[in-house]
Amino acid sequence: MTGTLTLENLHIEYPEVLLFDRLNVAFPIGSLIGIETDVLDGATSLLKGIGGMLYDIDGRSILNGRNILTMPASERARKVGFVYEDEGLISLYDVFQNIALPLEFHTDLNVAQTRSLIDATIEALNVPKALLQMQPHELNDVQTRLVNLARALVMSPELLLIDELEGGMPDDMIDSTMRLLKGKARKENMTVLLTSSNEHVLREVDQVLKIQSNQLVESPV
Amino acid sequence: MSKPNDTSKQEPNQPVTVEPIDSDVPNRFTVLGPLKMLVNPVAQLTRTIMDLIGLISVALTASKLLFQTKRRGIFMALFYRQIYNTGVRALYINGAVAVLVGTLLISRLFDYIPNQVMEDQFGYLFMVIVFRELGPLISGVILIARSATSITAEIGYLRLRREFQVLNGLGISPVFLFLLPVFFAFPLSLLLMFIYFDLVVFLSSYAVIWLSNPSADFFALLSAILNQISLNEIAINGLKAVLGGMMIGVISIHFGAKVENSFTEVSDAISNSTTTQLLVFFVINILLSILAYTQ
Repeated sequence: MTGTLTLENLHIEYPEVLLFDRLNVAFPIGSLIGIETDVLDGATSLLKGIGGMLYDIDGRSILNGRNILTMPASERARKVGFVYEDEGLISLYDVFQNIALPLEFHTDLNVAQTRSLIDATIEALNVPKALLQMQPHELNDVQTRLVNLARALVMSPELLLIDELEGGMPDDMIDSTMRLLKGKARKENMTVLLTSSNEHVLREVDQVLKIQSNQLVESPV
Repeated sequence: MSKPNDTSKQEPNQPVTVEPIDSDVPNRFTVLGPLKMLVNPVAQLTRTIMDLIGLISVALTASKLLFQTKRRGIFMALFYRQIYNTGVRALYINGAVAVLVGTLLISRLFDYIPNQVMEDQFGYLFMVIVFRELGPLISGVILIARSATSITAEIGYLRLRREFQVLNGLGISPVFLFLLPVFFAFPLSLLLMFIYFDLVVFLSSYAVIWLSNPSADFFALLSAILNQISLNEIAINGLKAVLGGMMIGVISIHFGAKVENSFTEVSDAISNSTTTQLLVFFVINILLSILAYTQ
């Protein structure tokens, strides 16, 4: 292992709700971590908190020695990918432009390289190419999440945060997607942190945690 | 267990007390009531002005990203889209209004001014009435009614769908993607609309003059107008387009971005932004006209 994702005293609290009370957890780089989630247990906020997408939270979320919470936006966008449970696409753009947007904004790839990277990624995810020309509102929930995943994967992030990817997916699609994520995690040293309530998904990860008393604890799943 | 302020579980025979929904709303006369009524709108206006100044400064700061070639490419695509939607697609309505204004203006003037004097004074009248005042005002009102309302609605819905947060998550400032194209496209669109309006008013005016006097010389009338338009006139019109367009765009973004949770906030945003834009745009135009043309 070449590094870790470490949460140091990560504290997430809304005006009337304490979600996470000074979390101190470390995850090895290149591993798949599942967070067993329940309704309104704060798992989405946890992912956003770890990824530096929440304001006014305390603590540190350290990825390979760099605190994500204080990283410049551009560096964070290259190192951390986020897959939303629903929506998460920019409605001004079609699917291709949505996936290309972070590449165009944060990398020096030319048009041909961008196109080829996107083609390879959606092929790996078994997403039909015809989807690339569609508008976000024309996609169903599963397609929207896959496009979110493709947009995150094209950036080859060091940390990938996935919020309940599996909703509405058939088992074989879950299997192939999890295989792809596992392969990428091992090959590219990418840490994947995903929330899920699906046992099928949680069986595929290296470690399962659950949220209990505002802390993350080992889950027997 | 009922919540501390849950009024649905009152004991029988106890009087039901209703807490005021909004403690800021005075439910009885107090000395502070009228004072608040005076102070609140001023405070709100001050906040809005400070927000608008902040937005302009944020837009100018974000403009430095345009020096990076790839990011400029993303901007330019949205900028062209905005120019097309605002400056080009508005031409038909701008043209239609200009035809009506041109026809009405000249036919009314013919009622009061003899034909020969009319032809002599055409250039001056056109410059004073159309070029200086009507062109900018009517074009601005069309921009507000047609495009600024759409931008406010668009930004409002983007906020409702949490797309600003998505962009922040991608490390892309919503200011770059949503504000900058409007900030630059609106002034340019408004300038195009001024030019187009003046041109169509001239053509329709000439048509009316020609109907009453087929020997009226097109080029003589055109040259009469061009002789009246000095560099100063062009600069004032340019300033009206830049300041007016920029303020209309920024006000749209400001009110659109205030939408948070509910669809009804979008209609409120459109209503508030349109009112503010009309006020600000008329003030800018009138102030500039007074400053520039008062002898």
